[in-house]
This record gives sequence, structure tokens and C-alpha cells, in this order.
Amino acid sequence: MTMPPRLRKFTLTLHVTSSVGLLGAIAAFLALAVTALTSQNAQMMRAAYPAMQLIARFVVVPLGFASLLTGLIQSLGTPWGLFRHYWVLVKLLLTVFAVTVLLLKIELINYAARLATETPLPHADLRCTGIQLVVHAAGGLLVLLVPVVLSVYKPPGTTRYGWRKQFAQRPSV
Amino acid sequence: MADPPFYPSTPRWLRIFAIAVGAVALLLVVLVHGTSGPRHNIPFIGSLDHSATHAAQESDR
Repeated sequence: MTMPPRLRKFTLTLHVTSSVGLLGAIAAFLALAVTALTSQNAQMMRAAYPAMQLIARFVVVPLGFASLLTGLIQSLGTPWGLFRHYWVLVKLLLTVFAVTVLLLKIELINYAARLATETPLPHADLRCTGIQLVVHAAGGLLVLLVPVVLSVYKPPGTTRYGWRKQFAQRPSV
Repeated sequence: MADPPFYPSTPRWLRIFAIAVGAVALLLVVLVHGTSGPRHNIPFIGSLDHSATHAAQESDR
């Protein structure tokens, strides 16, 4: 099933917006995580972790799902398909991996936000949690940069399934 | 009907990408296993920094 050109452009716009927005949100999350980890100012730490929780809950997670969903619609509704080209398949796997890790780490983000409200501030625990959050945010940013590169370059290579489909669609001579 | 043409080998970029992913995964496994064992017996380095912790707690009050 192929989408009409107008709908295709609309879903492409949604996909690019959500994917690039996700990268920007994770970059903002990483900036806060590094600031909270390196700051000696308790007020800064108390402010940063709840802000990270809000960004994760209301920006990163919705954009992650939006990126995944619009990517699925975009690939299934165009001749690219979901399993025909390696670059589309790699993008799908990386996005699913990133969203899964993100969902698994939501509890860690909530824990850091809870720690930041305690008096006195548990510096050792916050530092340990902060390091994990910085590592995961930086890793997530790197992982999600790969789909951007793949989308721009669209490296050649069809899967076996795509090869068969391509041959089946060709008119026999 | 004509025979289907030979399926070309896996693209080079994908092989390089797979090797890079494997190397990163291996590095992560080594780092996680290398740091999780003996570090349980070593006090967390952040807790040794009493001056910074104390100063931050003071400013928090």
C-alpha cells in the first residue's frame, strides 16, 4: 500500500520533526545531567533533576514513540518498505533499542528526582545516579545520530526479502 | 519465467557497522564486568570528597 504524495509528505514532516526533536530533547537532558553532576551548588542539583524528569516524561518519551510510529507509517506507506532495505531495518532496530532503554531508565530518572528533594542532599547517591544518567543520555544521543546519518545517505543494499520482492515486481520478459 | 538473479553479498557499510556495534558491545561488557567486581569493596570516590560534600550541605541549609 502506497500513500498519496500529499499524505506521504505530511507523515515525512511528522517523522523528521519528531526524530530531530527527540535528538534535541536528549541533548537538553544531557546538558542538565552534566550540569547537575559537576555542580557544587545544591540549589542547582535540586532544580536540575526534577527538570530532567519533566523533560524525560513529557518530551523525550512522547517524541520517542512519535518517531517510532511515524517511521513505521512512513516505511510501510512508501515503496521503501520496512524489511526491504538494510538502512531502513537498521534505523528501526536502533530506534526500538533506544526507546526500550529509555523506558527501562525512567525509574532511574524518577529516583534521581526523588533524591534531589531529600534534606540533606544525598550527594554520594546523587553522584552515582547522575553518572548513570550522563552515560545513558550520551549513549542515546550517539545511537540516535546513526538513524539521522542513514536517512540522509540512504546507503544501498537490499535484504533477501527486498531482493525477492524487487524481482517479483519486475515484468517478465 | 526467467531465473532470479544472484543475491548480492551483504553491503560493506553494514559489515563495518556490525563490527563497530560488536566492538562497542564487547567494550561495554568488559567495562561493566571489570568495574563491578572489586569496586564493591572500595568506598565510592564521591563520598571521600568530604570538603565538597560538606560545603554543599552547608550551602543547602
